[in-house]
Amino acid sequence: MSLFRKKKRNVKKPQLLTPSKALEKKGDTPTSISLMVKIKEVKELLGNNEDLQIKEFKIFGQYPAASVCLSSLINQDVLNQDILKPLMYVPEHLKGKEKPLNELVHLIVTETVYHSQAKVAEGKEQLIELMLRGESVIFIDGIKDSIHIDTRKIEKRSIAQPETEQVILGPREGFIESISTNIALLRYRLPTPDFQVKTMKIGRLTKSTVAICYLKGIANETVVKEVEKRLSEINIDAILDVGYLEQFIEDNPFSPFPQTQSTERPDKTVANLIEGRVAILVDGSPFSLLVPVVFNQFYQTTEDYSSRFLMGSFVRLARILALVFSLVFPSLYVSLISFNPELLPTEFAVAVAGGRAGVPYPAVIEVLIIEVSMEILREATVRLPKQVGGALSIVGVLVIGQAAVEAGLSSPITVVVIALTTIGSFATPTYTAAFALRMLRFPIMILAGIFGLYGVMVGVIFIFNHMLSLKSFGVPYMAPVSPEDSQGMKDVVIRSPLWWMPKRPEFLRPSNQNRLGLNDNKVLEHNKVGNDQREDAANGGSKGDHNYSSDNDLN
Amino acid sequence: MGDPKEITTIQATTILISTIIGVGVLPLPLFAVRAGETSAPFVTLTGIFLAALGLFILAYLGMRHPQKTIITYSQDIIGKWLGRIFSIFVICFFLVLTSLAAREFGAVVVTGVLRETPLEVTVIVMLLLASISCRNNINVFSYIHNFYVPMILAPVLIVVAFSLKNANPLYLRPVFLGNDLRGMAAGMLTVSALFQGSFIITMIIPSMKSPNKALKASFWGILISGGLYLLIVIATVAIFGPEEIKQIFWPTLELARTTAVPGNILQRLDIIFLAVWVLAVFTTLFSSYYFTIHSLKELFQLKDHKMLSYFIMPFVFFLAMLPQNILHMYEIIQYIGRAGLLITIMYPAFLLIIDFLRSWRRKKNVAKPT
Repeated sequence: MSLFRKKKRNVKKPQLLTPSKALEKKGDTPTSISLMVKIKEVKELLGNNEDLQIKEFKIFGQYPAASVCLSSLINQDVLNQDILKPLMYVPEHLKGKEKPLNELVHLIVTETVYHSQAKVAEGKEQLIELMLRGESVIFIDGIKDSIHIDTRKIEKRSIAQPETEQVILGPREGFIESISTNIALLRYRLPTPDFQVKTMKIGRLTKSTVAICYLKGIANETVVKEVEKRLSEINIDAILDVGYLEQFIEDNPFSPFPQTQSTERPDKTVANLIEGRVAILVDGSPFSLLVPVVFNQFYQTTEDYSSRFLMGSFVRLARILALVFSLVFPSLYVSLISFNPELLPTEFAVAVAGGRAGVPYPAVIEVLIIEVSMEILREATVRLPKQVGGALSIVGVLVIGQAAVEAGLSSPITVVVIALTTIGSFATPTYTAAFALRMLRFPIMILAGIFGLYGVMVGVIFIFNHMLSLKSFGVPYMAPVSPEDSQGMKDVVIRSPLWWMPKRPEFLRPSNQNRLGLNDNKVLEHNKVGNDQREDAANGGSKGDHNYSSDNDLN
Repeated sequence: MGDPKEITTIQATTILISTIIGVGVLPLPLFAVRAGETSAPFVTLTGIFLAALGLFILAYLGMRHPQKTIITYSQDIIGKWLGRIFSIFVICFFLVLTSLAAREFGAVVVTGVLRETPLEVTVIVMLLLASISCRNNINVFSYIHNFYVPMILAPVLIVVAFSLKNANPLYLRPVFLGNDLRGMAAGMLTVSALFQGSFIITMIIPSMKSPNKALKASFWGILISGGLYLLIVIATVAIFGPEEIKQIFWPTLELARTTAVPGNILQRLDIIFLAVWVLAVFTTLFSSYYFTIHSLKELFQLKDHKMLSYFIMPFVFFLAMLPQNILHMYEIIQYIGRAGLLITIMYPAFLLIIDFLRSWRRKKNVAKPT
């Protein structure tokens, strides 16, 4: 405990609490003047490593110096061509000039090295850390200051289509692991000075770069501050993925519902930034984390907005239905079969009874058995390699399903119900939200087995009450439905035409609400020619159509 | 009291609607018909007016004291100790109201759906649900009400709409004076007793964004819930006729039973109706439960109401188990309901008059020296 407290007090320093604490003991003292001592000290700390590369040379043939770096992390070409070459081989414009020792560092940084990221530092701890991040450090004999140059080169994969969030209409790019590429993907879509990226380092060992991205003037400042506060309170050894952060910053860790949204898509991230949310990126994770979230955005996709209004609305309705199915369908089935068969039309009730004739278990046990085996099957198909996965799903679904019915383990209708439920849960675009409902299905099923429809109702009320009491960074989880927000409501059940939504959703309390420009655009008015349906303003929304997206800035 | 004042006027309205519409939906036509025969709708209407009067008095009182609930401002108006004694009466009354609602609900479920499940279990499940939900703050309380209102209104409207094809307008005549005046007056009291949940407005006003809109909220609240009640009475009486209704315990449930959805999707609607009705009961129970513990908190000047939520559950449960059977229960309900009007209408009216007198006297005193 005392260790942590000590760290908190000098939090301003770059945190470095390596297990061996070899560096800590030395502290952030300036390096000594002698080159030999400096090299010795570096060797003491990193000497065991095969990839420590120390190259001694003479600057301008005059001053003894050494370049120190970890060869596995750096771009050798850059080191050789842009750094060592101009240092060893005196450049044209410096020939004949005097190069005194006290001005040497300045001379090198400003006039010699061909690299934009050449900087000067003197702290030993800092230099070692930079070296571990892929920079090359140049020690010069007789000078306390050292020059460090960013020569980092990390292998990364190319930008590919996001695996988990496929769309038919819309951009195909997905985030990759490298944070600089990810920020570039965002900047490319948001060429505005309002787009702010704040970074911090989290993780005592991994020292992962965490970037907080938001649009100044749109995002609520208190939310941004809250995000920074919660992130800065994290004290952990490793942040390997954005999911680690999620667990530290969410409001209610014991809730089954996700209170942040992670997405692989830059376009979705940008769309959320523009609505006033804050995105968190972590180096090494191909996901961005969006806060604050509300429940309804878990069944929205970017495709809803890029497709036409009717299309988007229809698909969204289907998705909501699937969501409801995946939560209550099996429990409704159980309660209808075992408590209220009189609700079913007679012919169907007879068919159900006939199907269940050979099944020895009560409906709830039967459904639970099939559900559990379905969960196992689903988990297995995720883990299996692609080549085997297809085969397994055929064996699992077709063969086992058929055999279970024939063996009298379950009735054919149960299999149909479970299949519909499973498909329904796949239709929810966000994996985490689908997972929450997947889990909650089981308690409701058990309640249905005990109390019938009354049990289902109690379970559903319980879940809704819990959701209504949740908050994500100060925003009620069920907004804009309750608390009500007329602007936000237009985007909940159907996806209203874009010109119906001139304001940003109010529940996020954005600093600036105007999404559409004022009525000074004539583009759509010109398009009206010959279309008498839109002739006058009272006739369906043409008054609001005058948006223009050409030269208005984002505010 | 650290919660931000965020309850909007719409939320206040929805809280009133969902609080008022509750267990009473089922026996309401029976109460009205017993009192007024064919003029049951008229009895209902007068009952609604009486309830509206009480609600407006409360809303007006609340607007005069926008920072306080009835528990705290009664101490300002009629003195600390007298105010506290009356507050204890109010709290006890709502405790009883909560338990009776739970019991009535349990009785319907046991008779209508789960015939083999013990009454105690259904009541306890419902009370647990309410007490766990009561641990939230008042903003979440309003979110919950706001969220459920459409789901409470929809099934009733659907049932009424689909059943009206069998209606017989003759059953509704004579509209006025279908029975003797005394009976109708008693019926009016019973009906307006069903609106006692609207007392909750006094708890909401201090948390409202703009407390001076409380009157508007209560007007819309009583208009929508009262309109729905009236609609139910008209539909049931027009379909079954007064004589038939007297034979049925829960005419509204019977109405749902006779309704068929076109297309034969479901053979019967009553079970679905009951299932959704669980929601209406929950919101009513939730309101009165919340009011009880919130008022207790204010009376004892506690910081937090969360702990009280589990603490009073055994009392509510015990009170709910007191009536011996359905008949006994409805006797008690009618009796308590009418007596309760003293607390929910007369007491606020009394407070308002004294408040007026005090402010009038203060004005006179201020005017004299200057």
